[in-house]
Amino acid sequence: MGTRVVLLQVLRQKLNYVPSSTSIPVQFKTFKTSNLPLSLSCRLLCSVSNQTSSVLQHNKRNSPELSLRSLLDMGFTEYQAEQLYDSISRMKGRNAAKHVLSTLSALFVLGLNPTTVHKLLDKCPELCAVKEMQLQQRITQLRRLGFVEGSLQRTVSHYPKILTVPIKSVKSVVQFLREKCLFTTQQVAEILRDSPAVVLEDLDQLEYKFQYVYFRMGVKQAEMVKFRLFRFSLDDLRCRHTFLERRGLYQTPDKKGQTTMINPKLDRILNVDEGTFIADVAQASPEEYDVFQKLLAREWKDEEFEHGSIESYSEDDDDDDEEEEEEDDEEEEETRGKSGYNKKKKK
Amino acid sequence: MAMGLFLDTSRVILSRVKDLRALTPKRHRVKGKWAATHPKQPPTRMALQHFDATYSAQLGALWPSIRVALLSERKYGALLNHFSHNLDVEELQARGCKDFISNGEAFMFPASADHRSEFRPEEDSSSVSTVNHGGGSQQPSPLRLSPNIRCLVFPRGDVTRFRPARPDKFGLLSYYLLDAASILPCLALDVQESHTVLDLCAAPGGKALALLQTQSVRFLCANDSSVSRTSRLKRVLHSYVPKALLTDDKLRITSFDGTIWGEIERNSFDRVLVDVPCNTDRHSLMENDNNIFSRSRIGERRSLPKLQAELLLAGILAACPGGDVLYSTCTLSANQNQAVVQQAVQLAEEQHGIQLQVISLCPLTQMFSNTFHFAPNLHLGEMVIPHLAANFGPIYLCKLRRLT
Repeated sequence: MGTRVVLLQVLRQKLNYVPSSTSIPVQFKTFKTSNLPLSLSCRLLCSVSNQTSSVLQHNKRNSPELSLRSLLDMGFTEYQAEQLYDSISRMKGRNAAKHVLSTLSALFVLGLNPTTVHKLLDKCPELCAVKEMQLQQRITQLRRLGFVEGSLQRTVSHYPKILTVPIKSVKSVVQFLREKCLFTTQQVAEILRDSPAVVLEDLDQLEYKFQYVYFRMGVKQAEMVKFRLFRFSLDDLRCRHTFLERRGLYQTPDKKGQTTMINPKLDRILNVDEGTFIADVAQASPEEYDVFQKLLAREWKDEEFEHGSIESYSEDDDDDDEEEEEEDDEEEEETRGKSGYNKKKKK
Repeated sequence: MAMGLFLDTSRVILSRVKDLRALTPKRHRVKGKWAATHPKQPPTRMALQHFDATYSAQLGALWPSIRVALLSERKYGALLNHFSHNLDVEELQARGCKDFISNGEAFMFPASADHRSEFRPEEDSSSVSTVNHGGGSQQPSPLRLSPNIRCLVFPRGDVTRFRPARPDKFGLLSYYLLDAASILPCLALDVQESHTVLDLCAAPGGKALALLQTQSVRFLCANDSSVSRTSRLKRVLHSYVPKALLTDDKLRITSFDGTIWGEIERNSFDRVLVDVPCNTDRHSLMENDNNIFSRSRIGERRSLPKLQAELLLAGILAACPGGDVLYSTCTLSANQNQAVVQQAVQLAEEQHGIQLQVISLCPLTQMFSNTFHFAPNLHLGEMVIPHLAANFGPIYLCKLRRLT
């Protein structure tokens, strides 16, 4: 019953352009108290937005230009509307302005209030360039991946860039995480929620990061998800881990998964600020870590250079060169081959 | 119908079983194949395990910092060649390199009368706060150092790499890259005007070259037990020193077994440098080639302390009474350092009646504490320990004086 009221209100709002900034929070409220299953209400809203978009397009033929008036109608304050108008008009391409209105309305349908939308577009102006159809598809995909209402809005408002990523990319990342890294669907959803930036990461880098943590550090999927591994850059991770490893405070587990000492948890390595990490976990001085970072950066650069020249000559003894760079030679061999971690698949 | 299906599939499954091993319950299974050897581990891995076991006990809380420094890129110094002239040196200085030896001297004997005002900023190459300097500069050091040796290093924490030296118009190179801490034994040896010097294990030649830079050596005898290494030593000297200074009356290069020197030339040299073969900690951790921790060299490695004591004893015998002997290694291991010195001193007394005095190198450590990290509380000799911000060493040195 409540949903029907919502639908009518939204339709009325869009058709008449009656400014009703108060109706939006109401819409949000009724949304929450809706008794209908979420999927149904989503579908209803989608169909509503489809209708509104067609209505809008009809209207657009009459008024192709984005106007301050239309922004105000959507519920923005004057200041917000001005800002938006400025930034949108500045955007290159005439097409940008045309479907901005539909993009904005799609965001409202999602349940975000104008202030949030304004902040969002401020953070990520390229969101305006996304077509409304694409936006809807991407939102639907996120829902299918396990984003419940509430977390979806939270993620979009904190990381609006996630909606600028094409569906294919998100799909490939999810597929990678599920099939190659063997995360469960739930874990994948958690990863996307905690670290949405993962959809923008290069897959090769992602794979390397996963393999590094899985093999070199001996950390399993559950811990990776729990301690938000994917929030951290590969370089940070490698630097901190290598520092501990070379100090003798972290040991790669052997084939049976055993170590002769207790490794610090991933939590203690990543989720502490640098000062605490250096002083408490590594028990070193900031000067040491500073120099170490410089040395390591150079080592990596040299490695990349070697890799490049070795690939062009395809020597068979390149493994020896690679092994000499780290002292944990045996485990290195496992991570080098792409198929290495497939062997670890459990039934 | 379901039964028929079951029989079909079970037949299929059974036909795929190669042997009965998989069908035997685990508790009845017998291990078919046993490994005959340990899994192959590279020598660098063996070295690391060995060091972890010995040094964590010997060095305690210092070990993690030393370990990470040993496993990271080492820091070099550029030993300046006084016999060559080109712009390389000026270039290096322009990029921030300073001679750590002059720095150390200036720090110990500041020209300003007021000892409390410490150093002139342009001469101080490090940013480390210097608290105990007052104590060092209050009295002139009783320790003399070999003169004229100059070695440039980049400042503390600076990881810039040196470019290789280029030959000047006479074909001589302007500097020799080596671990700056390797210069310390040459400084401590205190070569003075017209001394005769014996370098018992001279190859590849960095220390011999440093000794020649003093321009105080009347006669240098450079020896190494290996012929191939001796030829390398010759090449090094010829790349840096003009031929005129390498004539037979000034330089003799030999390939004898150093331990027999007691029989060849006794009581002959004013100064003897005994830079013995050792675990070469850094090399053993980073390079698999020519690594003393490889399986084929276990015997050689285990007998190192014995060889080292013999070499030191030979050096003592070769020195003249009143002469100085300097023992140095590039390992942290106490049983190749202090233990060997003690052993040799004892043997010298028991077998040859030679009395030796240990000369304290404490002033040296005070002088260069801005450049190197020294191990604290070593009861015999001094040791440079690697540290990421000053990644030199490890170098152990101990100075002995023949009293009789």
